Amino acid sequence: MLAATTAVALTACGSSGPGTSKPGEPSKVSVWALQDAAVNPIATSSIDAYNKANNTKIELVTYVNDAYKQKLQVAMGSPAAPDVFFNWGGGNLAEFVKANQVAPLDDALAKNPELKAKFLPSVLDVGKVDGKQYGLPMLGVLPVVLFINKDVFAAAGVQPPKTYADLLNLVDVFKGKGITPIALAGSQGWTELMWLEYLLDRIGGADKFANIAAGKAGAWQDPAVVKALGEIQNLVKRGAFGTNFASVNYDNQGASKLFATGKAAMHLMGTWDFSVQKEANPDFIKNGKLGFSAFPAYEGGAGDPKSVVGNPSNYYSVNAASKSKDASVDFLVKSLASEQYVNGLIDAGQVPAIKGVETTLKSKPNADFTGFTYDLVANAPSFTQSWDQALSPSVSTELLTNLQKLFLGQITPDAFVANMAKAK
Amino acid sequence: MSLDLARRPAHRSRSVPPPSAGPRRRGRPNFPAGIAATVWLLIVAVPVYFVVITGFRSQDQYIEQGPLDLPTSPTLDNFTSLFDLGFTRFLTNSLVVAFGTVALVLAVALPAAYAIVRNPSRSVRSMFNVFLLGLAVPAQAVIVPIYLIITRLQLYDTLLAIILPTAAFSLPIAIVVLTSTLRDIPGELYEAMTVDGATPARVFGRLVLPLSRPGLVSVGIFVGLGAWNGFLFPLVLTQSQDQRVLPLGLWNFQSQYGTNVPGLMAAVVLSALPVLALYLFGRRHLLSGLAAGFGK
Amino acid sequence: MTTSKAAARPGIIWAAPAVLFFAAFGILPVFAVVYLSFTKWNGLGDPVWTGLSNWAALADDSELFNGIGKTLLLTVVSWVGQTPLALLIGVWAAGTQRSRAVLSTLFFLPLLLSTAAISVTFVSLLDPNFGLAADYGKYLGVPDGNFLGSPEKALYVIAFVIAWQFVPFHTLLYQSATRQIPVSLYEAAQLDGATGVRQFFSITLPQLRNTIIASSVLILVGSLTYFEMILLMTNGGPGTATRVLPLHMYIKGFVGFDMGYASVLAVVLVTLGTALSVVVVRLTGYHRMTSDREGA
Repeated sequence: MLAATTAVALTACGSSGPGTSKPGEPSKVSVWALQDAAVNPIATSSIDAYNKANNTKIELVTYVNDAYKQKLQVAMGSPAAPDVFFNWGGGNLAEFVKANQVAPLDDALAKNPELKAKFLPSVLDVGKVDGKQYGLPMLGVLPVVLFINKDVFAAAGVQPPKTYADLLNLVDVFKGKGITPIALAGSQGWTELMWLEYLLDRIGGADKFANIAAGKAGAWQDPAVVKALGEIQNLVKRGAFGTNFASVNYDNQGASKLFATGKAAMHLMGTWDFSVQKEANPDFIKNGKLGFSAFPAYEGGAGDPKSVVGNPSNYYSVNAASKSKDASVDFLVKSLASEQYVNGLIDAGQVPAIKGVETTLKSKPNADFTGFTYDLVANAPSFTQSWDQALSPSVSTELLTNLQKLFLGQITPDAFVANMAKAK
Repeated sequence: MSLDLARRPAHRSRSVPPPSAGPRRRGRPNFPAGIAATVWLLIVAVPVYFVVITGFRSQDQYIEQGPLDLPTSPTLDNFTSLFDLGFTRFLTNSLVVAFGTVALVLAVALPAAYAIVRNPSRSVRSMFNVFLLGLAVPAQAVIVPIYLIITRLQLYDTLLAIILPTAAFSLPIAIVVLTSTLRDIPGELYEAMTVDGATPARVFGRLVLPLSRPGLVSVGIFVGLGAWNGFLFPLVLTQSQDQRVLPLGLWNFQSQYGTNVPGLMAAVVLSALPVLALYLFGRRHLLSGLAAGFGK
Repeated sequence: MTTSKAAARPGIIWAAPAVLFFAAFGILPVFAVVYLSFTKWNGLGDPVWTGLSNWAALADDSELFNGIGKTLLLTVVSWVGQTPLALLIGVWAAGTQRSRAVLSTLFFLPLLLSTAAISVTFVSLLDPNFGLAADYGKYLGVPDGNFLGSPEKALYVIAFVIAWQFVPFHTLLYQSATRQIPVSLYEAAQLDGATGVRQFFSITLPQLRNTIIASSVLILVGSLTYFEMILLMTNGGPGTATRVLPLHMYIKGFVGFDMGYASVLAVVLVTLGTALSVVVVRLTGYHRMTSDREGA
């Protein structure tokens, strides 16, 4: 009784909206994004330009990656909530939509058809929830690709894998030479997830995960999922990831360094690892030793080998409770596809989800890699969002835990799908 | 728990001659303990040596040389670059949190201890029992409601959001230790002042405050160290870089620095300097503070 | 103002600030966590009453018993590892030789480092490819340096790092307690021709009884709360090999945002903690000391 009343009292006083602006005064808009030394200045300069041209006070607030999701979850619905917030689209965005905390952007897009036409459709789609547009792409595309250490490949006299059979063969070759075939930061489940995402996509096609994300009954128990999980355990048993992968960390660049120093031959990772390598192992990039390739085709699989998985982009969405909703939406509409913003992204090494940037990309540094990335995404029939972003946080934590156990051989594929079917 | 034991050695030490007096049986070698001590010394020393030596190494040297080699050309670059990464801010925040918590705890705990010692009523007695029970509540078990309370109070992402719960969870131990300290003040002193017609406020100012100084120092150090090292409350209750405290900053450096282990180790060294200073200049107080709380 | 004795005693008002403050951040959360355990809340919006459904989910939680088991295992390993070590070194360090005094200063070095600092240091040291683990793992029978990533070893590695952090503190307790043992006891034993080992078992150990109890209580109760270091070093992994109960709760609450279920786990945690305290109190006779004190 006491507890109930106190909790009611507690919850009763937390629902005033963010921001305050009276008519005539400049609209205050707070924009939350991830801390990123390369990208933040671009956002700041387009904000400055917009503030100058309009009677607004837009402000960029940045957070580090680790804590951002939790912070946002916490702040939304509190008076400290941002007006415009960075998100990952998909299931992550859907959570906020379900809580009625996101303003739809369809009207704004309908008024600006040329804007809508500029975005790559497969990427724009991930900003939709139940057919309505809630997020606009604000960063480059970040598909997961197979990185290749060219030195190690040359020394072994082998080529990047085109098919899964090639990959298995390479595993044996490198293992025989005492090199870890594939660097894997197995202490963090999301790096292992990339293997499951691609294997299921290649074996069963993109629908299989779409069913899982839609919460369809029996989607986890699909034979293609079980087969993909079985392939993972075969890879582990074959020694594809070495013996100590579960001790390797991505956040402290354990896997990236393992790969760059030639102790491992391949690394399946998001394209962001390119900038990680550029920062941490500049010579590796400078000397052109970093190769890259699409995930190999799976013989007899139902999936299209041109499909990609990863982070289609990151998105800006507008808080439904914002006091400066119009100014927020207008800022997004005017800025995100502007030449200044898009070129800024390209200069920072990003590949924007904007049609027709190929020529600009070619004239910039690292054109090989950015061109490869752009073509990969532009030609992809589907772009499956990283599962841990697409599923609800509670299912994602179950997924990553079970996946770690699967990689360690502690549970079978059947136990895995049974556990996941129960998760909610 | 067990605080009664904690104060016992300190209490007794007044009546025992200093350790240097007289012939000691511990003058003889003690082989099993000596071996254990030596082995453990190595185990303690190697990581500490690694931290310090690596902090002065350049990134290139770290990769080329063995992790335990002496650096051939030590550098201070790691330390200077830390200040560009906002280290000063983290340090200031941590100091604010530590001192704020100590001030708050001492300000409410000493009067409470005074009431508990000098007021024999049943209600005060039961209050003391509530604090004793509070010793057993682990802070992380109530982190969800704490988080709810802090957000509803609109304190989320402020240093006060760290200080309030940290202080609250330090209160039981502070009150228990201070109560023990005040019990050591002879009753006649209270009586004498009371006979002179002193009010409780006067007794508090003239008698309790000066005589409880050792206890206050010990509690202050114990509570301050706890706040200084606290990780869970800052993790859950703050978010922005401006409000970040040192332990969170260190964790963050770990991912920001990536393979730059020397930079990370420099951060570890710097984070320990304030406590090291305390250790060097007030070793006795520091150790008594630690013993006062008897650990976390 | 009155001069009567009763009026000169501090009123309950002196304790009020501490009590109210502790009630708000220490007691209210305990009730609130019980309330939240009957709600569904993902951190967004307001908690929604769902009755017993979270409690029913407890039966389906395959990690619950793992969490309890790992917590107990960590507790036992910590006690078995730390107590004899700290006892031996503490007794040894109590000796008056100058070398021992200097060395004991080194022993206390880990006390200067925060949990976060210790965790990031050991993560670097234990990196299987680039840390000490890579170069020296082979001498420990782990040629691939797979310490934190091994489901069999990870928990023991964590227990080792916890020992690294806390043995100095317990050593400190034993050192000061040993110094309080009256020299005359040893002199008498020497006259009787008792050996060093004999003296240790017949004098030192019995005299340290209370300290051993106190130190053990701290290890036992403390290990229920070892959480930050695990979060920082393995995040409960690999798999769930180091996912102790408090961490399981944190992951459910602040990673999976299932605050309702996390609150159920919190209630379990508080219950376990209280039960453990009660058992310890009964076994050590601490409650008798409490009642002594209450009579004071």
